[in-house]
Amino acid sequence: MLEIRNLRARLADGREILRGIDLSVNAGEVHAIMGPNGSGKSTLAAVLAGREGYEVSAGTVTYLDRDLLAMPADERAREGLFLAFQYPVELPGVNNMYFLRAAINAQRRHRGEPELDAGQFLRAVRAKLKLLDIGEDLLQRAVNVGFSGGEKKRNEIFQMAMLEPRLAILDETDSGLDIDALRVVARGVNEQRAPDRAIVMITHYQRLLGYVEPDHVHVLQDGQIVESGDKDLAVELERRGYGAVGDAA
Amino acid sequence: MSAVVDFPVKPQARPYLDAYDRLPSGEPEWLGAHRRRALARFAEKGFPDRRSEAWRYIDLRALEEQPMLPVGRIGDAVDAAVRKRFVEAAFSEAAYRLVLVDGRYAAELSRVDGLPSGVWLGGTATTIAERPDLVRAAFEAPHINAERPFTALNAAFFGDGFVLDMAPGVALDRPIEIVHLASMGTGASLHTRSFVTAGPGSRALILETFAGAGRYWRNDVVELQLAAGAEFRRVVLVEESADAFHIGELLAVLGPAARLASLVLLLAGRTVRHEATIRSDGAQTQCDLQGAFVLSGRQEANIVSTVDHAAPGGETREVFKGVAAERAHGAFQGRITVRPGAQKVDAHQLSQNLVLSPRAAIDTKPELEIYADDVKCSHGAAVGDLDEAALFYLRTRGIAHEEARRMLIAAFVREVIDRVGSAPLREHLLARLARRLAMLEK
Repeated sequence: MLEIRNLRARLADGREILRGIDLSVNAGEVHAIMGPNGSGKSTLAAVLAGREGYEVSAGTVTYLDRDLLAMPADERAREGLFLAFQYPVELPGVNNMYFLRAAINAQRRHRGEPELDAGQFLRAVRAKLKLLDIGEDLLQRAVNVGFSGGEKKRNEIFQMAMLEPRLAILDETDSGLDIDALRVVARGVNEQRAPDRAIVMITHYQRLLGYVEPDHVHVLQDGQIVESGDKDLAVELERRGYGAVGDAA
Repeated sequence: MSAVVDFPVKPQARPYLDAYDRLPSGEPEWLGAHRRRALARFAEKGFPDRRSEAWRYIDLRALEEQPMLPVGRIGDAVDAAVRKRFVEAAFSEAAYRLVLVDGRYAAELSRVDGLPSGVWLGGTATTIAERPDLVRAAFEAPHINAERPFTALNAAFFGDGFVLDMAPGVALDRPIEIVHLASMGTGASLHTRSFVTAGPGSRALILETFAGAGRYWRNDVVELQLAAGAEFRRVVLVEESADAFHIGELLAVLGPAARLASLVLLLAGRTVRHEATIRSDGAQTQCDLQGAFVLSGRQEANIVSTVDHAAPGGETREVFKGVAAERAHGAFQGRITVRPGAQKVDAHQLSQNLVLSPRAAIDTKPELEIYADDVKCSHGAAVGDLDEAALFYLRTRGIAHEEARRMLIAAFVREVIDRVGSAPLREHLLARLARRLAMLEK
């Protein structure tokens, strides 16, 4: 589904953040990318989602047999790529329901499917709200405005549940969550594991991985994947710390 | 030129003087005398000078170079084109409606029956003929701004308008709609003058919509008197033709504990200016002023407001939003004055603006003049582009760039519409905004 080959990216000021990433993600798999602060985790998510401000200086990213880097951000999303933000953006004046319906219908139009009318949309929403333990009142508010940290993260996973992406990248979705919120979010993610869907979780800590068990774990350090393994690698990392990985590499 | 004038005349005013002589009369003498005084004032002053602070942000040269003269009554017939435009512009949920076509009351399109007792709603010309007592005082003791050139020109030439008079305690909770349609497009000026008198404790909500076709100059003046405890909510929706000039003026005097809520949406027209001058004469007034302009092409718009707190305890809230794309130019000028002795006044003003292209511009000029020492007054102004992080967030959900921009612009402007209490009216305004934004090019 996703093939990253020797991906290098730098900031406008010339600082190279990604220094040759190789990663293969297949449909049905859950990958965890772990690493210390500043290792390039969020930059990788941003480059995959199409955020401006990064220059890809080398390498390729193939997504569903297409050149991902050649697509604008909105087209990537319509092709089934989803990014759950580490810091979800507040949109004052944009109603959450209206926003979500616009997003779903943009994607449906792209796939040549009929748009959802208000009634169909509402039924779809209600089914998923329960999953994320979100009250309907949250949907009547402006997107993320006045939401607590936990509400913002749940809203991200709720959007994922509504948009049903092929590839979901979750950027530090566990950060800032208390244990109850973490459970709810994890349940939401687990419910969305599917044979035709891949999930990439980017995280600093192992604790989310206790609830969402990954098939593969990668360690990112200084812009490179320095170690890969199965779920046991995450447990080991928690014990020995990232410093030891760097030494080993 | 037949009239013998004994006052100085500015050259640009001359064609208007001549046009006055050609107009038929038949009005009461007190009105004629008033018109002649106003005409003399206009002749002396000429067009507003761009060097004057209140007019520095708007370009009136096209108006000055080619006179746009008033015309007399054309006829009563409402043709198919006017009817179509009326249907496009009208607010379907209005409880009462008064329509003016080319500045004249059009009975055929209006619906003013069934008003509660104690309420008068009629065309200004009809009112002058049938109930002169409702308007005569306003002419003979002009309360503010009689000296302004276009206000004077309006007094000299207005043919019609609307008059709303409410007895004490009357509540009109369902919206009244006034529709101004321009159909001739022949470069004439349309002068309308309206009067609202809200008796003590009365309440009303009014929507004034301006629309038209072709080239014309609209010069509209509304005088508003709110008695003690009266509550008046006014929405102005300007959707004039792309070749039209629109000069709108609101003159309001607020009695004790009166409440005025005003929303001005300037969405279309070549050059549009709205000025509100509000004198808070009574104590404990509440004044809620909101407005927005959405401009593209080479449109120009100017929102000007002056709130004069002459009594203690008043509260003023102002929020104005500006959007300018392409080569458009907008400006906001807002002055709040607190006179000596007007203690405990609480006044806040906010001007927020989006400039969407390098060749567009918005000027914003807040002014506070405070002569009392125990007041709370503040203002803020910002000019910027759309938030890149917000745009990216929308795009990562699959929403195309242009649609994402429109969503964010709508979100920016709708803050002023969201405060409209009537849900059907709010939906109507949001739909008009969406229609305007769909036409907005980058």
